Amino acid sequence: MPTVSVKWQKETFSAVEIDASQPPYVFKCQLYDLTGVPPERQKIMIKGGLLKDDADWSTLGVKEGQKLMMMGTADEIVKAPEKGPVFMEDLPEEEQVVAVGHSAGLFNLGNTCYMNSTVQCLHLVPELKSALIKYPHAGRSSDLDQSSHLLTVATRDLFNELDKSVKPVAPMQFWMVLRKKFPQFGQLHNGSFMQQDAEECWTQLLYNLSQSLRSPSCSENPDPVKALFGIELVSRVHCEESGEESSETESVYALKCHISQEVNHLHEGLKHGLKSELEKASPSLGRSAIYLKDSCINGLPRYLTIQFVRFFWKRESNQKAKILRKVDYPVELDVYDLCSNGLRKKLEAPRRILRDEEGKKLGLKTNEKSSGSVDKDVKMIEAEGSSNASGESSKTTSQEDKEMHLTGIYDLVAVLTHKGRSADSGHYVAWVKQESGKWIQYDDDNPIPQREEDIPKLSGGGDWHMAYICMYKARLLPM
Amino acid sequence: MAPDPNIGSGSGTAPEEAPVKAAPSKDPKKKDEKKDDDLSEEDLALKQQLELYVERVQDSDPGLQKVALDSMRQEIRTSTSSMTSVPKPLKFLRPHYGTLKAYYEIMEGSDLKKSLADILSVLAMTMSAEGEQESLKYRLLGSEGDIGSWGHEYVRNLAGEISQEYTKRQSEETPIDDLMELVQQIVAFHMKHNAEYEAVDLLMEVEDLDLLVEHVDSTNYKRTCLYLTSAARYLPGPDDMLVLDIAYMIYLKFEEYPSALQIALYLDNVQYVKQVFTSCGDLLRKKQFCYILARHGTTFELDEEMAADDDDRETLQEIINNTKLSEGYLTLARDIEVMEPKSPEDTYKAHLLDGRASAGASVDSARQNLAATFVNAFVNAGFGQDKLMTVPSEASSGGSSGNWLFKNKEHGKASAAASLGMILLWDVDSGLAQIDKYFHSNDNHVIAGALLGVGIVNCGVKNDCDPAMALLADYINKEDSCMRIGAIMGLGLAYAGSHNEQIRSILTPILGDNQAPLDVIAFTAISLGLVYVGSCNEEVAQAIIFTLMDRSESELGEPLTRLLPLGLGLLYLGKQESVEATAEVSKTFNEKIRKYCDMTLLSCAYAGTGNVLKVQHLLGQCAQHLEKGETHQGPAVIGIAMVAMAEELGLEMAIRSLEHLLQYGEQNIRRAVPLALGLLCISNPKVNVMDTLSRLSHDTDTEVAMGAVISLGLIGAGTNNARIAGMLRNLSSYYYKEASLLFCVRIAQGLVHLGKGLLTLAPYHSEHFLLSPMALAGIVTLLHACLDMKAIILGKYHYVLYFLVLAMQPRMLLTVDENLKPLAVPVRVGQAVDVVGQAGRPKTITGFQTHSTPVLLAAGDRAELATEKYIPLSPILEGFVILKENPEYREEN
Repeated sequence: MPTVSVKWQKETFSAVEIDASQPPYVFKCQLYDLTGVPPERQKIMIKGGLLKDDADWSTLGVKEGQKLMMMGTADEIVKAPEKGPVFMEDLPEEEQVVAVGHSAGLFNLGNTCYMNSTVQCLHLVPELKSALIKYPHAGRSSDLDQSSHLLTVATRDLFNELDKSVKPVAPMQFWMVLRKKFPQFGQLHNGSFMQQDAEECWTQLLYNLSQSLRSPSCSENPDPVKALFGIELVSRVHCEESGEESSETESVYALKCHISQEVNHLHEGLKHGLKSELEKASPSLGRSAIYLKDSCINGLPRYLTIQFVRFFWKRESNQKAKILRKVDYPVELDVYDLCSNGLRKKLEAPRRILRDEEGKKLGLKTNEKSSGSVDKDVKMIEAEGSSNASGESSKTTSQEDKEMHLTGIYDLVAVLTHKGRSADSGHYVAWVKQESGKWIQYDDDNPIPQREEDIPKLSGGGDWHMAYICMYKARLLPM
Repeated sequence: MAPDPNIGSGSGTAPEEAPVKAAPSKDPKKKDEKKDDDLSEEDLALKQQLELYVERVQDSDPGLQKVALDSMRQEIRTSTSSMTSVPKPLKFLRPHYGTLKAYYEIMEGSDLKKSLADILSVLAMTMSAEGEQESLKYRLLGSEGDIGSWGHEYVRNLAGEISQEYTKRQSEETPIDDLMELVQQIVAFHMKHNAEYEAVDLLMEVEDLDLLVEHVDSTNYKRTCLYLTSAARYLPGPDDMLVLDIAYMIYLKFEEYPSALQIALYLDNVQYVKQVFTSCGDLLRKKQFCYILARHGTTFELDEEMAADDDDRETLQEIINNTKLSEGYLTLARDIEVMEPKSPEDTYKAHLLDGRASAGASVDSARQNLAATFVNAFVNAGFGQDKLMTVPSEASSGGSSGNWLFKNKEHGKASAAASLGMILLWDVDSGLAQIDKYFHSNDNHVIAGALLGVGIVNCGVKNDCDPAMALLADYINKEDSCMRIGAIMGLGLAYAGSHNEQIRSILTPILGDNQAPLDVIAFTAISLGLVYVGSCNEEVAQAIIFTLMDRSESELGEPLTRLLPLGLGLLYLGKQESVEATAEVSKTFNEKIRKYCDMTLLSCAYAGTGNVLKVQHLLGQCAQHLEKGETHQGPAVIGIAMVAMAEELGLEMAIRSLEHLLQYGEQNIRRAVPLALGLLCISNPKVNVMDTLSRLSHDTDTEVAMGAVISLGLIGAGTNNARIAGMLRNLSSYYYKEASLLFCVRIAQGLVHLGKGLLTLAPYHSEHFLLSPMALAGIVTLLHACLDMKAIILGKYHYVLYFLVLAMQPRMLLTVDENLKPLAVPVRVGQAVDVVGQAGRPKTITGFQTHSTPVLLAAGDRAELATEKYIPLSPILEGFVILKENPEYREEN
């Protein structure tokens, strides 16, 4: 009956007796009492070998006082979780897009960065996507010409492709159709396509979409593009000399931000842009006279587009020259004071509620999910953003009983920038905020993640990318 | 190293003779006349006096002759002058050298003739033409008086002539007894006058170093041996071994056992190691020997002769088995306060990146999780705790450590399970306990990982019960090849360098099995190579050779096949000529693998020798332009680094040569260059190499870039080098879209923070003197795997990264007292200074700071005790050092 010492983890059990007449299983049971490790989980090592349950002690030659080592735990056995994680590498290619967190880039087909950046900006509007999906394949309404129809179809297909693909997309079809519909984009210079003004592309494309997506049959939403982007302006036209006054309304797709010496901020530029002088024949004076046109917003869209009037026709150089002046624009835009009185009244109630909610947020900081790396302003915006997001998600469930109200407050979601000295040269790039809240710079086929802090830096005043078109998304409030 | 350029060239013509030996002037008279005008009165008198002596010497009266000779001797001996100019009497006697020489020939044999020969011998020092050795000739004809009486310069000159004469006589096969007598005198003179290195040089020239042992004494043996050991690196062929033998004998003679042991280990001579143990009677010192053996990683069994007492032997054996390594390492970690586990995100430090927010990935990426697994393993290596694998199970019920495991895919799970072994490195007891749970998994990959983990935990640590063998042996013949590889690689890691017979007997049959898949075979070959590293074992070599011959041609083209020749090469690691027979056999291999095998064998056999000829040979291979897409240039480039890494000069030269390869070499060479640079500067971030690699990390060729990124990790391994960390961070944002490169960047980041900066991968230790073959083998295996990054590391064999565990060692100095308990003492740590061949007692470190042990030692650092209170038992303060109280120490005040 030799006695041995058994080492188990950090413990040593000295003087464990071995009953050589019994099989080793008995010995293992002895150890079970000491360690609590069930015999079948025990591994006992004797000089480079494992002790088998049916081994014979005599052949093993265990010496008095020999040290044995035991391995084994009473721990729970590791089991694979029932639902294993899904790996990005396993996903089919289209689903990887979601994982990447942003959609694909667009190849430059030869000075088509103006088109690429426009498409990327518009692609971000989910409502536009859904409207396009509803667009019938073949049946075009009679009042639409063939090329418009084709362009709309091409837009839909391109948007689809962008959503699905991981790799950059070459917008061949779209580009061809766009040129067909708007021949000015097909201008050649020295045998290659010329750079074009992105604003023109933007306007034309939206106009085309609004034409083709208009469906008189559908009563509730006759013109989806107008509902999304259209801004209703009411203007008072007033003649100093004659004292004549008239009022007119119009609908535009973008507000213009005029840039002059006094304009340092988007807001000033917008105010500037809403006032204009025009010369027209005055019926009372019988000659042409200077009329002052004073506009204000009477209807706000879901997506507010603002164009910086950075380019002007410079006769001497025969090109669209660029104003490099720095014009700051906010990440959060409030257009309340540009609105007409009637609209202001409508906005007041939702704005109050929003303010209350904000106050509550600030009071209860614990709810905030602060990332800690951004300054306080951004934090607030983030918090609001998340509340907004949660608001939207609740919207999907309870859309029926709650109506979304505009508040006149807008969040920046896309910036189309230009780099260079004239509209027909240089480089256009789109900076788009993703649903995840991350900013991506779409430089043709190359999407580059950016930080939110860097977005307001695109305000001009140098040779860096500067904002040319900004798109703001309305902050909606369910009520 | 030595200021004496003699050594480098190995020729006897010492350049210092040149200024003394004035070139025979074509028109001496004219010159002398001119000079006469400038002479002072005193000099003029001396000159005339000497001229008079010369005349008198030729006098017929022996009395006058004697007086003249004596006076002349007197003048020469008493003349003192600066080292750089010729002493005046010699100068004035120069015109008369010819006269005296002619007279000597006609003089009759007598004591006087001998005296004249003495003087002629001295005069010949400045006069005789190059290569005539007249000084020596007249010396031998002279009176054989005290050699030193003519001054140091004379002795040096003679020594130079002796070596020339020696070579001459050797070729003519004439006796050299008279020369050797002179050598005796010169050596004795040099040894007495602090010119040990000149004595050594002379003895090396006349190939009689044994003489040295008689002449060294306790005051100069240290410097002599230092010179010998440093010179050994630059000597060809068997000479270096001889020199080291002498150094070993001298150390033994003066009971400087630790140094003798170092040399014994360098020579890889077990007999010598045993002799050190048997010669020393002091138990405490023996313990220190054991620490040295443990650091070197040798498997060594003590017997009764070496340690008589059973208990003592057990204690000593325990030290050799490295059982306390984990404890010491954790002591260091606690002292430096880095016990807090680090998560991969702490290592990536993504928040420091500006401009780019990392693209938000909502779904787990298997590749990124795998990278995190490795980073976590490397960073927390040996600490026993981390934030992914060893999270306490009570944190969330149901074994949360399983969670991370299952965030890895297929083979990733194997690496994840094995990473637990890395985290619990060297701590066999708790390591095995924690790995145990994976053995009961129903997932083969997890079991494979557990097997590998057992191997990793046991790496460098030996245990009486041989747990690795007991646990792994059953799995090597399982069905599942993944499990087999896990067990085989585990065995290789756990028993590296042990020459374990049992492992050979169970692994060699796999090599002969035609049914075995190629990956199993490849890992078997590597494991055998590791276990039998540097053993030249015939049986293993045969087994691998047969496999290489048997396998089909298509299999030989597989990326993993490269591990087979490497396994073979490891058997001959550092064994130089012993490889030749096998190299011959390898010439008969299939064309596909022949050259690759040839390069691998050559580079392994001469690894760490600094053999310039082999470097040239390998460079020659790289200069060829290949058209058939052969792959052997990759190992050739790595081979350059392996051979040249031995010493600083060769290393610098290799770096320069590699730069050239980068510019002129073809793509397959360029791909290997960053890896070679990584090996040359492993854990030693030299700024120039760092810059080169940083440039290459943006290379247009992805393979080059990946190699450069991994190498950035290697050169910074365990240093926490802020510059490399910054470079890698920027690379991580630069390559954020390229999953494979990002994976490499992550691995490199993990390596830079290896063991939170407490570990090193450098295979050299003990002041860059000893090369641990296991460590080198581990690194080289990884580098060879990196030659085909896509198929191996980025494929399903990423666990080859764990081969690095063989090279991981704490870069610490931990002082322990006589009971082997840690003892904090002040030490100075600074840049090591090369003091070889310098006179006096120069400072060995510069720019030092004083710390309290345990301390970290960076590459090129040296430590010395800052207190007299203790005496270290090892002259090299690295790793574990036992301190003994100094009996003569008196507390001040």
